[in-house]
Amino acid sequence: MNEQALITDAQNGSLDAFNTLVLHYQDNVFNTALRILGDEDQAADASQEAFISAFKSIASFRGGSFKGWLMRTVTNACYDELRRQKRRPTTPLEPDTEDGEEMDSPKWLADPNMTPAQQAEADEVEHAIQHCLNNLPLEFKTVVVMADIQGMDYTEVAAAVRVPLGTIKSRLARARLRLRECLQGFAELLPASYRLEEGMNAS
Amino acid sequence: MNQRDLELLSVYLDGQLKPSDSTRLEARLQTDPQLASVLKDLRATRSLLRKLPQRRAPRNFTLTRQMVGQNPPLPRTYPVFRFATALATLLFVFSFGVNTVGRQLASQTYFGRGGGGGCDGPDCPEVQSFAAEAPAAAPVAATEAPGETTAPLAQAPLAPAPTETAASTDAARIVDTPAAKNAGETENAVEQPDQSQVQNEAPSPAPLVPSIWQIGLAVAAAISAVLMFLMQRIAMSRWRKE
Repeated sequence: MNEQALITDAQNGSLDAFNTLVLHYQDNVFNTALRILGDEDQAADASQEAFISAFKSIASFRGGSFKGWLMRTVTNACYDELRRQKRRPTTPLEPDTEDGEEMDSPKWLADPNMTPAQQAEADEVEHAIQHCLNNLPLEFKTVVVMADIQGMDYTEVAAAVRVPLGTIKSRLARARLRLRECLQGFAELLPASYRLEEGMNAS
Repeated sequence: MNQRDLELLSVYLDGQLKPSDSTRLEARLQTDPQLASVLKDLRATRSLLRKLPQRRAPRNFTLTRQMVGQNPPLPRTYPVFRFATALATLLFVFSFGVNTVGRQLASQTYFGRGGGGGCDGPDCPEVQSFAAEAPAAAPVAATEAPGETTAPLAQAPLAPAPTETAASTDAARIVDTPAAKNAGETENAVEQPDQSQVQNEAPSPAPLVPSIWQIGLAVAAAISAVLMFLMQRIAMSRWRKE
């Protein structure tokens, strides 16, 4: 795939060229939206909106990382979706504390009423991570999703989020720290192979 | 663990730390178990995030032309018909304006000629000479401007009107004078219809743009508009099939 040629064609109004780019990047865009929003349906809607917005504004793309540019578009679509949610609040899955805030602890997973099968399902690493991601502030979540889940480098993330490089470093460090603290509650749920591997990597 | 050390560890983990800073940090890691522990946890966290399964998009997010508001491709002749419709409509409206203005100008010229310049009274020389010297033109004058022939009317009792039409018009105007009271209502009743008949027979000026042209323009505009509409419908139906 000649990405630059497709981008140029899309800038000249070729929808077919843009759709080729869509097919190439749609999984990345959807996963970014999914990790930011934590809901598949909302992520799909945000992804579709992001691609529509991207096509309409592709003339403003002036080179650089097209993936980073797309990530910025999908991030904006996610922010719009979150703003809509604030206007039309829904009941969160997580229980509230006495102060009315969502609980950070994953203790809700250890529901005594759950069957072993349900417990095993709830122990999935993905759910644990998503739960912790959902508890991060939005600006931290965006950075950690782009850097650690999408594998973008600092420069790409800084360009996508439009904040200085130093801010990206700071946000990423704090996001990782918070995730670590959150995931400590899932330590016994994490697969043994993962712990062994990490032990080897860390040594 | 302060914020600065946390950021150093995170950047070091990503291999983005300067070599000199890396050397210093590695030396600290050798002597500070807490720092090394945090680094290990950060690495484990990052590894966990990287292991997060990449979900496939639940459907294709490819765009359709309707989604991005693109219009269907129209035939190349479409702009020609659009221009023709606009031009024909413009000319059609313009022809009405031209005819209206032309009629008004013709009426102003007509009244100005028949009015005698607004001369009022028995001493008006133009009207006296007009009535006396050109009896054949009197009917025309009476016909064209019956409301402005006050001067000859005032003179009617003194001098008989040179023509029958002028006399009858004059008689109609002087029924209130003592000399005319004998004429009676019969004469007046007979002469009133004559005056209205004369007014109805006033020639209307010919329109500058003939009606046939206006009809032609209207038909051209309508046909062109219908063709445009059909082109749009056909293009839209083809576009939806693609």
